[in-house]
Amino acid sequence: MAEYKGLDGVTDKDFDPYFGIAKLDEQLKGIPSKKMVLISASPSVGNEVFGYQIIHKNITSDVKVLVFLNRTSPQSYLTDMKEYDFPANDNLFIIDAYSGITGIKSDETDHIRVINNPYDKEEVKTRVLKELENGYGLFVIDSFSLLADFFDFSFADSFMNDIKQKIINKDSAAVLLFTDWGYEKQNVDKIISNVNSTIEIKGIEKRVIFGQYFAVLKCDWIEENPTFSSVLFKAIKPGGIKVYFPKILVTGPTDAGKSSFIHSASKNAVSVDKLGGTIALDHGTVDFQGYRADLFGTPGQERFDPLLKMLGGEAIGVFLVVDSTKPEQFPRAVEMLRKTETYGLPVVVIANKADLNGSLKKEDIREKLHLDSAITLVQTVAEDLSKVDPNEPIKLKEEGVNEALSALFKQLT
Amino acid sequence: MEGIKTGFKNFDELTNGLDYRRVYSLFGNKESGKEQFIYKLVQSALSAKDAIVYVLTSKSYSDLINEFNSRGININSYLGTDFKILDDFSRTNSPSATDNSYAKILNGPLDLTGLSVSLSSANSDFIKDAKPVINIFDNLSNLLLYNNPVTVYRFLQFVVGKAKLAGITTIFSIDVAMHPPEVIETIKNLSDAIIDLKLEDGKRYFKLSGTSKEVLQFTEIE
Repeated sequence: MAEYKGLDGVTDKDFDPYFGIAKLDEQLKGIPSKKMVLISASPSVGNEVFGYQIIHKNITSDVKVLVFLNRTSPQSYLTDMKEYDFPANDNLFIIDAYSGITGIKSDETDHIRVINNPYDKEEVKTRVLKELENGYGLFVIDSFSLLADFFDFSFADSFMNDIKQKIINKDSAAVLLFTDWGYEKQNVDKIISNVNSTIEIKGIEKRVIFGQYFAVLKCDWIEENPTFSSVLFKAIKPGGIKVYFPKILVTGPTDAGKSSFIHSASKNAVSVDKLGGTIALDHGTVDFQGYRADLFGTPGQERFDPLLKMLGGEAIGVFLVVDSTKPEQFPRAVEMLRKTETYGLPVVVIANKADLNGSLKKEDIREKLHLDSAITLVQTVAEDLSKVDPNEPIKLKEEGVNEALSALFKQLT
Repeated sequence: MEGIKTGFKNFDELTNGLDYRRVYSLFGNKESGKEQFIYKLVQSALSAKDAIVYVLTSKSYSDLINEFNSRGININSYLGTDFKILDDFSRTNSPSATDNSYAKILNGPLDLTGLSVSLSSANSDFIKDAKPVINIFDNLSNLLLYNNPVTVYRFLQFVVGKAKLAGITTIFSIDVAMHPPEVIETIKNLSDAIIDLKLEDGKRYFKLSGTSKEVLQFTEIE
């Protein structure tokens, strides 16, 4: 049984199998059995990593997965998966409809079935349908558009109906990877009308691609007519698909622990600082529960206030870091939200140094900061000082950091 | 803006070189000198500080680099920074081949999505460096051999559309004798200009049509 742990760390066991992709599982709760999902990508973005990640999520959750592969050899496919840190295991089975085309035959094994003549519609169809009899939790076609190119849309359509019947009979589910090369609209519409859910993957591009997003176009198992928003993502090697937040601001008064938070939350943080105080900026990239975010820290000292507006520009969320022992700085903290022009954005308040003598209780901090009850306040404390590297900003304990990340990311999605 | 010099004396003098931002098809038979034309063009464009994405379908990236070196073209100092190879061949023989800093290993001629994604990303990287970009397809014949021609046209249409939008120069190399006339006609339709090459009596000749300075009779290339 696959399971998806959301930002709460709580397992939703609604459906099986899962996508293994943040946000997608939160919106769709996995893929119920008997359902077919089309993942339709623009040719400049591609969908192969979505395929790898979905396969990996399921084979590591003990779901048997069958992949119909016609775009490359099984060996190349497995190499690519591994490069994204998605190694194969015994739950993965591949129907090789590629090697026969190149003339370099691959050997049939327990996990690789070979279609001798991939040009032969009948052989393709018969082999696939027969193999599906063996009962797989998930069937993936990579790629369905190539199949339509190879034969034609009327074959693709009838094949799709056969597969649909089969997965309904066998309580399986299917994911079809599709690249939309600008086919005739009626052909694409017909395919979309035949699947239960369509996910679109696109690039935001002019001369260069400056962003990639996915969006659920339809899904017939989620009732109550939800509105699915577009989600920015990055495909990271290794790591796979991460929902992406381009700019989150970390601000707060001097010496509250902004740099500590950024360095604790991210692996590659840089600071421009002098004698321990940040005087220009901090930056770090966070990877957390399938999400990726770029954190930008501001200096806390007042003489840098003219920079604050610039640093806050385009941020979509804020961590406001305060020192729990210094209530006299709280007005300054609120002033910094105003000066970065981020007041009103989703915010999580981090009350740092919560373990020190003289630190205020949560309720007192809320009251003194005039926090609305909807705003999350998270307490953080430093790691044991014995573990501190004097050349690095002090690290905060993981528990509080994760709580803060989770709280803000939830508001942002 | 000056054109892209090919490094062939007569060609450059008579035509002013290739125009940036346009789509060229390079036609010729096996011995016509298409590869030599491309290699010299690469050398000349790189030394003029252009950036090149080289889509390779009929040999491995290491063979390509050897070809450059054996012709005395110093490609090594440009690798990765100005010259990137999209190798659509190596995995035919070694399926587990993986990328390095200058060669992206693709999945073979059927995976046009993989090719187009890699091309977009390599182009974006160069454009962000503010470099004029040339995409060279050496060659289309292999893509046409494995795929349905209609599939390849759709792919090329997409590639050409993107290149126009991004101000990229594109060169498609095709072995004319390998394809039926209607395939060649369609490729011509996708192109702004056609370069024809031929070998005769031990000399190489070219024609160029579709540009402001055409050369419509076969003329010695250097």
